[in-house]
Amino acid sequence: MKATAEEYDFHQRILARDDPIAFAAFAELLYNSLVQDVRRRAGPRADPMLIEEAVGEALLDYHDSPMRYDPKRSSLRSYLAMAAHRDFQNATAKEHRVSGRQVSLFDPAFREQDIVGNQETVDSQMQEEELWQRIDEVFPDPIERRIVTLILNKTRSPEPYAQTLGLCDLPYNERIREIRRVKYRITKRLRRRIAQQLDRIGGKVQ
Amino acid sequence: MNRYSPSLERLAQLAQGRPNLLAGALILYKEQEGLDDEQLAALLRCEPAALSRLALCERPRPAPRFREDVERIATYIHADLMQLAMLIRAAESREALSKKPGETSPALLAARDYEEFEEFNTGDEG
Repeated sequence: MKATAEEYDFHQRILARDDPIAFAAFAELLYNSLVQDVRRRAGPRADPMLIEEAVGEALLDYHDSPMRYDPKRSSLRSYLAMAAHRDFQNATAKEHRVSGRQVSLFDPAFREQDIVGNQETVDSQMQEEELWQRIDEVFPDPIERRIVTLILNKTRSPEPYAQTLGLCDLPYNERIREIRRVKYRITKRLRRRIAQQLDRIGGKVQ
Repeated sequence: MNRYSPSLERLAQLAQGRPNLLAGALILYKEQEGLDDEQLAALLRCEPAALSRLALCERPRPAPRFREDVERIATYIHADLMQLAMLIRAAESREALSKKPGETSPALLAARDYEEFEEFNTGDEG
């Protein structure tokens, strides 16, 4: 199915880059139904937070490169729903990969590991040790340090954050809002205070 | 069944990394001024819910298009035109000052401020 007349009109306005509200109005119109579309495709057990992120990224990618969409080939809504669903699948697969090899950096077994194979490993361990010393200084609160671990392990699911912060009893929306607020504050502090150490061990705060 | 419902606010948060949209400049302004959504909305004389839509708007083009673009955004979010114009310029100035040297010079920005406010003043007289 081709683009509807309304979609075509929005698409032309977004392409022209001369209407400052075109993208906002388009997103406002389509956002909720896109989330519903992707949720239907992803199934009832899919993480709604990941779905919203995927829809958001698909919309923003379209905003950045609207010329990739061909209105003669499909409707804009199904083009975006497909892109978002693909992003969602990639994010879910990545999350499974990460949680599969996730190691707590506070695990004594990890910290007391003393068998080293080569100089590179020693350097890497020293840098990591230095990083964690710095994290201990910057984040004296053990709960905050646990959140730092989750962020550095790239945990995207909200549940581990909610458990760490003791937010599981809050309604979902409030829980997500509070998690985002805490993550935002901690990520900002991470970027400001320990970006240098992260650079040295090749880490990155998203 | 949980009570989760989609929110444009989350899209606005994701948009903070998009330099063409207003989201990044607004969040920096809010942070530096220590404002919450209600206070920012009061400043703009609009509803707090309109802030997500504002964040998703494109940055206004420089003069001579600045006024036209800000008017369009103000109408869309039902905000006060002059307050919105001042906020956008203040937010962009703060953002430019917080960037690395060479990305946007303060002198250039000051020149742009001057042209844009001239445009507003001329428009008000006419």
